[in-house]
Parts: sequence; C-alpha cells; structure tokens
Amino acid sequence: MFEKNLSRREFLRKAAVTGAGLALAGCAPKVVKETVVVEKEVEKTVEKVVTATPAMIEPTEVLHWNWLSASDAEVWQSVIDDFNDANENTQIRMELVPDAEWATKVMPAVAAGVGPDFGWAAPAAGLEPDFVDKGILVPLDDLAHDVGLDMDDFAEGPLNVCRYAAFDNKLYGIPLDVMTMALEINADHAQEAGLDIENPPQTGEELLEWADAMTVREGDKVVRSGMLMGPSIQNTVVWGIVSGQMGYKRVSDDLKTACVNPEAGKEAMQWIYDLYEKHKVSTLEVTDRYKAFGVGQGSMFITGPWTVSGYLEAGVNYISIHVPKIGKEQKTYLEVGSLGLYTQPDTSRYATTMQAVKWLSDNSFKWTTEGRGAAARKSVLSRADYQTSGLPWAQRGAFVDEKALEMATIPIGYGLTEGGFDFIIYAGENYLAQTLDSVWYGEKSIDEAMDLICQKYQEHLDAAA
Amino acid sequence: MKAGPVARANRWMRQRLNVTIGVIPLWLVGMFVTVAWIAPFVWTISTSLKPASQIMTADIEWLPREVTFDSYVKVFEFHPILRWLLNSVIVAGTTTTLCVLFSMMAGYAFTRLHFPGRDVFFAITLGSIMIPAQIALIPLYMAFLKLGFMNSYPSMIAPGVVSVVSVYIFRQFFMSLPGELEDAAFIDGLGRMGVFWRIAVPLARAPLVASAILAFTGNWNGYLWPLLMAFEEKMKTLAVGIAVFAPGYGGHSQLESFGPSMAAVTILSMPMLIAYLFLQRYFVEGMTSGSIKG
Amino acid sequence: MTSMVKQRWTVSGVRNRLRRMTWRGQRIDWSGYILVAPFLTLFVLFNAIALLFGLYLSCNEWEVVGRPEWVGLANFREILADDLAREAFLNTFRYVLVIAPGVTIVAFVLALFVHQQWPGHIVSRAAFFSPVVCAPTAVGLIWVWMLDTQFGLINQYLGRLGIPPVPWLTSPDWSWLGVSLMSVWWDTGFSFVLFLAALQDVPAELREAAQVDGATRWQVVWNIILPLLRPVTSMVITLQVIATLRIFSQISVMTQGGPAGSSMSAIMYLYSYGLSRYRFGYASAVAVLLLLATLLITLVNRWLVKEKV
Repeated sequence: MFEKNLSRREFLRKAAVTGAGLALAGCAPKVVKETVVVEKEVEKTVEKVVTATPAMIEPTEVLHWNWLSASDAEVWQSVIDDFNDANENTQIRMELVPDAEWATKVMPAVAAGVGPDFGWAAPAAGLEPDFVDKGILVPLDDLAHDVGLDMDDFAEGPLNVCRYAAFDNKLYGIPLDVMTMALEINADHAQEAGLDIENPPQTGEELLEWADAMTVREGDKVVRSGMLMGPSIQNTVVWGIVSGQMGYKRVSDDLKTACVNPEAGKEAMQWIYDLYEKHKVSTLEVTDRYKAFGVGQGSMFITGPWTVSGYLEAGVNYISIHVPKIGKEQKTYLEVGSLGLYTQPDTSRYATTMQAVKWLSDNSFKWTTEGRGAAARKSVLSRADYQTSGLPWAQRGAFVDEKALEMATIPIGYGLTEGGFDFIIYAGENYLAQTLDSVWYGEKSIDEAMDLICQKYQEHLDAAA
Repeated sequence: MKAGPVARANRWMRQRLNVTIGVIPLWLVGMFVTVAWIAPFVWTISTSLKPASQIMTADIEWLPREVTFDSYVKVFEFHPILRWLLNSVIVAGTTTTLCVLFSMMAGYAFTRLHFPGRDVFFAITLGSIMIPAQIALIPLYMAFLKLGFMNSYPSMIAPGVVSVVSVYIFRQFFMSLPGELEDAAFIDGLGRMGVFWRIAVPLARAPLVASAILAFTGNWNGYLWPLLMAFEEKMKTLAVGIAVFAPGYGGHSQLESFGPSMAAVTILSMPMLIAYLFLQRYFVEGMTSGSIKG
Repeated sequence: MTSMVKQRWTVSGVRNRLRRMTWRGQRIDWSGYILVAPFLTLFVLFNAIALLFGLYLSCNEWEVVGRPEWVGLANFREILADDLAREAFLNTFRYVLVIAPGVTIVAFVLALFVHQQWPGHIVSRAAFFSPVVCAPTAVGLIWVWMLDTQFGLINQYLGRLGIPPVPWLTSPDWSWLGVSLMSVWWDTGFSFVLFLAALQDVPAELREAAQVDGATRWQVVWNIILPLLRPVTSMVITLQVIATLRIFSQISVMTQGGPAGSSMSAIMYLYSYGLSRYRFGYASAVAVLLLLATLLITLVNRWLVKEKV
C-alpha cells in the first residue's frame, strides 16, 4: 500500500547518523589554555633522557595569531619552529586568521577572554587605536624593560610608529620589520628602450623620461605603461608618496590640524593626473597591477617588498631602486610590522609572552632576509651577512637598506581614535581613495577634491579631540 | 523525384532524432554556451597544474605547457588538508541531515496540522527570510564565546540547521499534495505521526532532494561562521582553511601563492562536483516526482 | 459525583480532554507542536533572538567592548545623510533589477535547451549547475581575472569580435555590470534545476497536440509552457530577489565596492563601515533599513503578481 517504506527504519537510520555525528562532535577537543603539544613532549623527553638534563617542567603554551599568508606564513612558521626548538619551557602555537576577518574575530575573542597571547598588528603598527582604546592591547614599555629588551637597538622611526600619541605616547607594539616602497624597473624593457640600467632615474624628470621611453602606445592609447599605475589603491599610495615628498602632510605633528600645506597635495594630484593625461605614460585600465608588472604590461612599478620573491619566481627580470626625488625631499612610504600583546584574564601570562616576543625580535634575521621587510633592529641591519642572505640584494636591497630606512618617513596612516581609516594611503576603499578616484576619472576638480579631503580630515580630528 | 540533400538530411533527422534541421544553429549556440559556462573551471584546474613561471602570462593559456603537481604539493605540505576535508564533511553532512529533517517536519506541520499559533509562527518564519544574516552575526559570536561554546563541531553546525527556505519548499510541496492518501491512512487508524512518517515522507522525495542540495552546497562553502568558530587549525573546515592561500587581492598581494590558491580551490570544489556528476540523474529526476510546482 | 470529578484528572481523562479540544472549529493536532518544535526552537534561538537584538542594537552604539549606549535614531540619520550609503542602497536595487530577471531568463532558456535532450544534454546539465558548488571567494578570484580589462578572457574574446575592451572592474560605469555578470553565472544553477524539473512535468501530450495543430516551437513555448511554469517562475523570482538584495561576497572579493563606490551594495557597506570599524550599532541600523526595503519590495511584488506566496 505504501510506495516506499521510508518509515521507522529510515528515521532510525537518520537518527543514528545524527547521533553519531553529535557523538563525534562531543569528542572534538575544546579550547583550553592547556600545556604541551604531545609530540614535542615526547621528543623532549627522549632528548632529556639522552642528555641527562634536570627534571622536565611542563612548558607553557603561548597562543599566537596572525594574518600572514602564502610564503610569508611559511617563513614565519619556520621562525616559530626555531623558537620552539630553542626554548623548552615555552612553546608557541601559531594559528592563521585571514586578514579580511582579522578585526571581526580578534576583538570579540579577546573581549570574551579567549583571545591569543600575542599577534601581528593589523593592518600595520600604530593603526589599532580602537584596540588600545578598548583595552585590548597591553602597554609594553614596562614589560619590555622587565625582560631586558634592548630598546636602544631599535631604529627610532619604527619604534615611534608603535607609540600612540593619542594615548600618552605609550608603546603598544614591538617593531619586527619595516616595509618601505621602492621602484621596480623591468630591465628588459629598459634595455629595449636603450636606457642604461646602471644609471636609473634619480629625479622626477628622469623618471618621466624613462617612463616615456618605455611606454608603448597605439595611437593615443597606452598599451604598455611606462609608469605602471593601477586601480584606486595604487594611485592613492603613489599620491601619498609624491605629496609627502612635495611637503604635504595629512596631519600636523600635534594631531590637531589637518592638511598641512595643501598646495603640495594638489601639486601631487596634478603630477599623477599628468601621468595619464599629459605625458600619457600610464593608463587607468589596469585591474591587476601585480599581474600587469609580472607579465610585462608595465615597466616601472612602485610597490613593497612583498612582491620580491613572487616576481623572482615568475622569472621577471627586474631591479629595484629607491623612489626618485620627485618633490623637494626624497622620501618614501613607511609601514611597520609589529607584535603586540593582547589582554588576558590571567595577567601573569604577560611575562612569558614578552619573553617570547623578545626572542623573536632578537632573532629577526631570518624573517627580514627570507621573509619580508627590513630589520627594525640596528644590530641585525649591520650584520655582515644581511645583504648576502635570503633573497637577492639587487631586487631586495632598495627596500631594506639603510638609505631606505632613512627615507621612509611618510607613514601609512595615523593612530587616531576617530576616522583613522580615512587617513591611510595604502587603501582602495576609504574616503581618501574614493575622492582621489573621482579626480583621476575627471569627476571632480583637484581643488574640490583637496577641499573635501581636508574637510573630512578636520572633522575626524575635531571629533577625536 | 529524388529529394535534394538538405531535404533528405532533414527527413533523416526527423525520423531518427525527432528534430528538424533548423535546430542545428540552436544546438551549436547551446553547446557553445555550455563550453563557455565551464571555462572558468577549466582555467582554474589548468592553472593549478602549471609551474609557477607560467602562471602569469599575458595571453590566456588554456592548457598547461607542462603539467606539474607542485602547487598541490605546496598545499598539502604545510596544512592539514585531509583533516579539513573531514571537518567539512562532518559539519556539512550533519547540518544538512538535521536541516532537512527539521524543515520537513516543520513544513508538514505548518500545512497539514491544525494547532493554535500555526499561522502566526509561519508568518514570522517566512518574514525572517528577509533579515540579513549579518545583523546577528557578531552578537551570536560573542554569545557563543562567552559560553565557551566554540571550536567544536556542534558550534559550527547549530546555526546552520535553521533554513527558512527549506521549510518554505516543503510547505509548498505539501500544499500541492492531495490529501486523500493521508486521510485514508488516518481513517484506517494510523495516528497523525504515523501518517507523517509512513505516508507523507516517502512521497516527499523531491523537496527532500532540493533542500538537501540547497543546504549542502551552502554549508560546504560556508566561510564566515566556521572561521569565527575555529580556534585551532585542525578544527577549520576546508573552505576556511584554504583562505590562507588567497593572494590577498588588492593589499599585500603575494603572487607566488596563485598556483597553490588555484589548487586549493580545485580541492575545495572537487568533492561537490564529482558528487554532482554522479548524482545529477537523481537530482533532476528526484525533483520531478511529486514536483515542486510552487 | 466524586467519582466523576476524580475521573477528570486522571491521565486518560486529561488525554481525552486534549483530544477533544478544538481551535477554529477543528480538532487540535497536538503532534503539530512536536513536529514544529526542533525547527522552532533553533529558529527562536538563532534567528528570532538575534533579530530582536539586532533591532535593539540599531538604536544604540556598541563597540563590542562595554555596554551599548542608546542613541535613538542617530544611526539612521547618519546613514541617510551619507552619500555613499545612498549609493550603496541604490546600487543594490539596481543589482536586483538586473540580476533577478537575468537569472530567471537565463535559467529558463538553459533549462529549455537541456530539456530538448539533444546530443550532449547531459554535459550541459552538469555544466550549468556546476557554478553553484563553487565557493564565493574562489569564484570571485577567477572572475577578477576573467574580467580583467587588459588580460581578461572576456575582453580577449570581445576583441576578436572587434569590440574594444570593456573596463569591467576599473570603471565606475561598468563595475556593477561586471559584478552582475558574475552573479548571473553563479546564481543561475539552482534556478536552472528548478525550471528543468518543472519542465519535465509538462505533459508531453500537450506539446505534441499543439505541434500536430501546427504550432511552431516558439508558440508552444509561449502559450503552453510559460503559463504552466508560472508558479515556479514566481518562486524563482522571489527567492532571487531576496538573495540579490543581500549581495555581498562577490563584491567583497572582486571590487570591495569600488571604484569610487560604484559597485557598493548595502551589505558591503554594512561590512566596511559598520562591522570592520566595530560600529555594530551602525551596522545593525543598515541591516534594519535593508530589511524595511526588502519588506517593501516583497509587498510590491505580491501586489503586482497577485499570486499566493
């Protein structure tokens, strides 16, 4: 009478599956701030028996989260592994959280008391005023002093970036690497155009000459950019660098006035606009600027050290030089990668965590030669093998040498409590980028755009006061 | 008089394939669209098999010049891919089973059974389709954290079991089902529950398949919630785990991860694609017997 | 007398009373509550409470740490005053107007094609459904490269047809169209299968009878198939409209709302300006506005279609 006996039997079967699922689930490990990773303990036990060292103490586990990806994550993991090998009493467990969801995941976790012990600042050092404001980050001056971290060994610029002027200039991060931007030039294109790669452009005019020589045009349209500019984010960051060189500052040093020397800012906008309209060495039709440079659709590209190994692997023949002096002073972009400690319900953990951070900073050689960025520690920078280890110097040098560190004085953003996001020059979707976009697309005039930006900035600064 | 070649072809086509010759251009267009439709997949798989130096090329290269599994090796090397796969299967499987079961029960109750509050409940349920999930996301997350209810399979499964669309699908189905079989069984003495389990459910194969597909595909690729709930690498589901390969579009893009990210994406899509290829017969047929006429 | 009173409170007595209770003239099926319970409990826990909390939050400022503070309608006023928010909502409506009909028509045409069961239809059937199984990040990544102005697949093929490259994702005028194209490719699969199933229900006799009567292929489709498919079509459109109003993941991966906010959607705005900046009250307010818009659109839809949902 019944078509198919999908009856008790089926229901029971389904219930069994569900039950099994739930049972399995119940057996899944819960997060508890426990000690020991089993394998390591076994290894260590064996080691200890063999070398007859004193009785084993259970190591403390320090939880570390970061948002690194791809090869950065791998190199950093090997640094963490080095730490775990060198330290028996403390073990670091590293977890990766994708950068887009970093904010969403970390703050609530720390607020609920289950956050990590330390992590990489996101998006960069000095740009987490919310975290400081809400007590998510731990002030580090005293802790650093207590574990004997040599604060004088740090380059001053990066260390200052990790301080928050809005919060009594307290230190909330230990700088780990310094990222600057440099100019990558496709050597093949230069050679084709008859340019001497041994004498790269040093000034703005030379830069434009080179760009013009290497641009390929079809009629009036640029088919291969001499100066590769890209979508929003690239235009914004180059504007940030050029305007900084010309003397513009987004915020005054006392953090009260917005737009110091707006004329320089407008001059910079004009310079970029001219790349497209006047000199015709760039095009707005670039969707993927990284790929464009990688396949030879652009000849010169201002970017950061995270591209070095990728382009080498892809076989692009390029060199890097410092950003030429386009404005009055030769400056470039500064971004600092730093480690910060998160508030824990059990504050006695801080000492151990700080020890771990100190070790990582002292041993930052591997990270800054094979990973990304320049060393923030003078002692590491001055090592004889700093230039010869890791990625090749011809491609990596301009990003990480001493001159680059001196030049890097244009900060990516400011640690403001209101609207800090809009001040960031390495962003594609904030107010700054969107307003600048309307200039490149001819929707607004330069004066209009500058006024809007300055107005918005002043609003933010006033609100923060 | 002997017919011309076109007419002869036409007759052959009409006899053998039941179509006229005018159909050929349509068929060609359709086939072209088919190939174009899967072009992105072909490109993904192809890229995942290319050596690093050939991934970035100015022109599109459909087939790799040399096939290499380097990208896949990289993906498996540093990450517990198989464990992630297992997690995805457990989470998506359990969620789908429970979701389909509960939705079927609720859909039937809202249609056939008579009890106070039925219409009010249903109206509220239906209305909630319109609520964007993000309203609740962070508060729910914080609540789970405060209760310590995270980093476990139940925490990833629980919110996903609620599917208003599935309830809707079942309700529509039961509404279009003539009630005689059930009435007859009822009169014969089978209780309401018996009628449900023994008569209604076997007939509901179509919406069952539909809502199972819906739930499973949604859950397999579910990203934000499992991400928030995973506090250990080995508890991540596959969709979350492979995010570590994403080149980080726009920001600090790392080009050397393009090959591995394509490999990771292929690994993520493969189980579902293969399952679909083998089961597509049942999907379509399953949806017709009984029909979801709406 | 006493024996009758005692009888009322026994188990069987209570059960009898329950069985005889009515509601609106019909006997109550208590089993209904049992069947509905699992779903409703979870629904109340995760959806209803969350909704109420979200509504409450929309009139507050809450930044995760600390207590929410009441601000009344300030969030709403701020949203309505923000140009970018307005653009985000308008874009969202535009997406709905383009994607919902787009998906419906494309899904129907593809289903019709596969339904003919011409050679290769099994391949087609698999192909058209396959995008559904792809994760949003994966699809976004692939399509960013496909829509690339210089190297993208689409522009390369357009170029062979003599059409100049379209700035799919780099131009404020075209970015929404690029996102829409990708969405149609991605969303069609499920509706396609629904249509296919419905088509197989159309009795073959009807079609044959019409063909015998001399109707052309197109007339058959227009006059017989379409009307029979009206309920499915209505369901597909409704579901697609609601889903498109919440479009987010593809935009987040492909354009982040740019350039210049031209591809921004309501939820993308909620994410960038609400969640990512820890302004959960503000984010909830955006969600509430979207909810109101959805309600409005659904009511208009029902009034237009006059079909029982």
